[in-house]
Amino acid sequence: MTLEGWQEQLRRGGLDLAILLAVARGPRYGLEIIRHLEEFTDLVITEGTVYPILGRLTAEGVLAAEWNASEGPHPRKYYRLTDSGRQRLALMASHWKEFIAKIARLMEAAGGERP
Amino acid sequence: MKISEVGESRIRGYLFVLERSLRTFLPREVVADAAREVESHIRERLDQIGPSPDERALVERVLRELGPPLKVAQAYSLEMTVDEAVATGRVTPMARAFLHAATTTVGGFLAAVLVLWGYVASAILFSAAVLELFRPRNVVLTFHYLVPVITFDYPEIPTAVDQGGYWVIPYALVCGLGILVATHRGARHWLTWWIERRRMMQLRLIDVAPEKNTVDMR
Repeated sequence: MTLEGWQEQLRRGGLDLAILLAVARGPRYGLEIIRHLEEFTDLVITEGTVYPILGRLTAEGVLAAEWNASEGPHPRKYYRLTDSGRQRLALMASHWKEFIAKIARLMEAAGGERP
Repeated sequence: MKISEVGESRIRGYLFVLERSLRTFLPREVVADAAREVESHIRERLDQIGPSPDERALVERVLRELGPPLKVAQAYSLEMTVDEAVATGRVTPMARAFLHAATTTVGGFLAAVLVLWGYVASAILFSAAVLELFRPRNVVLTFHYLVPVITFDYPEIPTAVDQGGYWVIPYALVCGLGILVATHRGARHWLTWWIERRRMMQLRLIDVAPEKNTVDMR
């Protein structure tokens, strides 16, 4: 596998978690989620690919979506975590931390980033 | 932000193509909701960027950031249809997923043909088992070099070549079921591999999109 392919796999693995984290503190609509991710991460995301992921997470029952026409000049579709979504987020976050810690230990054992 | 008739027409055109593309793969209510969300996004972005002397360039920029409607539709299909097919293995999502694959890549087309062949072959074998009950002389089990072969014929096959009798039924059912299970499992494995590969390619496309660097999200 090329370095590029490996980086893409990492990003792909982190994308669902990043989206769930973006709505962890309260409901957000699509564009708001994108802005939030851009503010805190360098995950490269285009609008056209975020909405299908949000749709899938909603279909899986991880997110719940609701249209709100009263707020803002246009109707917005807000996403929030469901109970099972919170559980999944907690599990994903815990696995992610564990994974990072293990890799950090390995790197430390190898004497830094360059073995 | 107030958009001129020309700008509105461009947005409607984009949404029209998106809706038409989505209808191929997704249920009608999902399509309507997705198109409404994308329209809301476009108008929100136009409001965020604000009025511009060159409205046409502004609309084009927002639509370019969103991606071509066909690509957006493919992303929807990939995330929702193919994912559902892989997760559940249900017939409708599987059919939609392979329709998507067949219209997207040459490999997808070939895989779809192969899978279709598998399902048709198992359906023919099941039909042979049922037909044997009502038209036993039209369906016979013959042996070619010790390999049992089920043969259909009309008008009736002379009884001299009938070597199977009602053994056609269990033989056809076992073979049909075997082919059906193998096809279905193979199809799901292939879709799992294919969806990962497509997602990788999507991320690669996102990464190299030059216009992304020019987008001011704040």
